[in-house]
Parts: sequence; structure tokens; C-alpha cells
Amino acid sequence: MLYEQKPVMARMFFREAVTRAVREEMTRDPHVLILGQDVGSFGGSYREFDGLYKIFGPERIRDTPVAEAATVGIAAGVAAAGYRPLVSITYMDFLMLGFDALINYAAKLRYKTAGGLSAPMVVKTTAGAQGQGVAHSQCIEAWLMSVPGLRVVAPSTPADAYGLMKTALRSDGPVVYIDHKRLFPTPGDVPVTETSIPFGQACIRREGTDLTLVSHGYMMRVACDAAQIVAQDGISCEVIDLRSLAPLDIDTVAGSVERTGRLLTLEEGQTVCGVGTEVATRTFERTGPKPWMRIGALPAPVSSNPVLEAACIPDAPRVADAIRTLLTR
Amino acid sequence: MIYQLSVPAAVPGVEEIRILEWHGGAGSTFAAGDLIVELETHKAVVEVRAGQAGILREIKAEPGDWCAVGLRLALFSDSADEPLPEGDAAATDILVDFEVT
Repeated sequence: MLYEQKPVMARMFFREAVTRAVREEMTRDPHVLILGQDVGSFGGSYREFDGLYKIFGPERIRDTPVAEAATVGIAAGVAAAGYRPLVSITYMDFLMLGFDALINYAAKLRYKTAGGLSAPMVVKTTAGAQGQGVAHSQCIEAWLMSVPGLRVVAPSTPADAYGLMKTALRSDGPVVYIDHKRLFPTPGDVPVTETSIPFGQACIRREGTDLTLVSHGYMMRVACDAAQIVAQDGISCEVIDLRSLAPLDIDTVAGSVERTGRLLTLEEGQTVCGVGTEVATRTFERTGPKPWMRIGALPAPVSSNPVLEAACIPDAPRVADAIRTLLTR
Repeated sequence: MIYQLSVPAAVPGVEEIRILEWHGGAGSTFAAGDLIVELETHKAVVEVRAGQAGILREIKAEPGDWCAVGLRLALFSDSADEPLPEGDAAATDILVDFEVT
């Protein structure tokens, strides 16, 4: 090749990458709608819909009351009727109220109607701890991974926030799109040309030879920081960003674990029946058993007390310690 | 005396900001309380106001540019003819007040 071609990138905040994806898809397809609390003239709780209300107006962007069960139910209904609603649930904790409509209706609709109907809807919700206490801090994505018919994605960068939202809004069934409070202040480079990122493709963020560290969402930043810390001791960590939790890209993880011989999983949610446990089980079905450890929140509610919150949630020094421990096995 | 204006750690969790608008250029004189520059975070606009008098000498980041917290945005001096330091030589931080809106 005469020269290496790289996409032209533009730097933007995480929330701007979300806005751009939604704006492009609403422009492309008049069936895309937004429903949720403060999504209208306010522009979204994290300003992730900033400016869209002026463009698309109240016909396509509807503020809803504090009634998550009704909002998700309405979205499932309009999706079945041929629209593509995006439902915004500001705190993932309150998605629990919408589980009946999401899990019993939207996720099963195609199966129940023998393919006659589907519910192409996106539930965009924000997980994670940032000083807001027991019922505004949880990461419950692992609960959703076991629902047949539901897809679950969790971007960690603005480029993935953009590309995965594009794919979500074109999907033929319900998608739960999980971002994180601590990701909104972060900027990153996003391709200038329209691009989408397919579901079910993990991304190797850092190549390494001694151990495979798998994570998703905000914990990817903690994982990369931990890999950087242990690199000073000559430990080489391969860091994989799952990006998509359902479907799960076990090919990439198992291929890496075959090379490194060890697996460390990291998540902000609970480890019991967690993302890491599922990743490990399915990886070792391919590779046979390998040394592994899983890190997640302590088995306690996440306090709004900053000292207790920090104690509960994994951080880079703790992940670095786990890496060193795992290397002795 | 030469002073530097760095990106203030105005909003928790913010590591990098975008320059929105300068309220003056090289040679502009600022009195305490004058608006120098507006910076943009993911959610807010940070108004940086002079906490002391000074003359803006050199702008290091233009509107639309990204700049990490702690990095230099501009150089100031007490009088208009003081020679500016070469490269990134350390300078005293200029006093500022900032307001997050």
C-alpha cells in the first residue's frame, strides 16, 4: 500500500456521541422516537439529547412522567405497531420497574407471535456509582444477559457510544443500551463518516501476553489503569472490552486466554451470577480450565457515603493486586 | 512578572475541557472580575474570571480545541513589554475565580 488509510476523527464528549447517533438515525428513519423523563426541551438528564427537541419537536420526542413501567410498556406497544422508540431510563435501578413490559412482552413478542410481530425498541439507561446511594448506583446488566430475545450492550468510549447506538436503533428486537454516569465527562475521537459497530464484537484495547483482563463500560478505564500499573513491574496484560454483553464475543476472549493462559474478569456489579462468571464459564468450555479470578462490587449496597462507595467498587490498585495474585497461580 | 492561566479543575470527574470563547486577545488588559475565557465541559460552561489585574500576552488554545485539566491556556504579564519565557518554562499561576453554570 502506498499509504495507510485512517478514518478522519472528530473529538467529542461521550454524550455528544450519543446525540449524534440519535440525530442521524432520527433523520434517516421517521419511525425513531424518544420517550423518557426530561428528554424534551431539557435535552436529557446528561444532555445526551441536547438540541434534538428543536429539530424533531414534541411529535417525536415525548417527556414522560416518573412512571417507568408505563413508559417501557408504551414503548413496547408502539414498537409492535411499527415504530422504533428509544426509551431513556435515567437510572438503571429504575429499569426494574419496566422489567415486565421489557422481558415478558418486548423480548418475547416475536416468539409469541411466530414472527408476526417484533418490538424494535432501545432502552437507554445509565448505570454505576457516583455518590448517589443505594438505589441510584447499581449495575444490573448481568440480570438482563439471561433473557432470550434481549440484546445488551455497554459502550466505554464515545466512538462505541456512537457506533453501538446506531446499530441499536436499527435492530429488529429490544436492545438495552447501558452507559455510565462517570463516562459522560470523558471525551474521545469518533469517526467523522457515518459508521456503526456490530453487536457481538469485543475489542482488544491493550495487547499483552501474561494475562487476559476482561471488562466493559466504565470499568474499562479501571482495567486499563491497572494494566498500566502492573506494566511497571514487567507484567503484560491483555485488556478486552466486551462492548456487547448479549451476544457475547467468546471467540475473542477465548482466543486471548489460549495465548495468555489466565483470565481476570472485572465488573462494577455483583460477581454472583455476574458478567465475569458467564464469560469465564463460556471461555473455559472452549479452552479447558485456566487460572482465573473475578472482581466486582463487594456484596453490599453501594453507599452514598463517598468512603463507603469507594470501598465497595473496584479500583485500579485492587485490580493490580488481583493481577499479581493470579500470576502466582 | 509573567503568569500562566491553566485549565482549572472546576468540575469533579472532568479531565479534559473544550475552549468555548475567549473574551479578549493578545494585548487585552484585564481587571479583577473581568471574564477571560469560557470553557465547556460535558454538562456545564465554566466562566474563568480574572482574580487580579494583568495583560493577556499569548493564547495557547483556540475555541474548539481540547485541553486537559492543569495544562496551560494562556500567558499574562503585569506590563505589556515583558519578554515571554521560551517554551513551557514554569510560570506563576494567575489568580482566577471561576463560576460553573
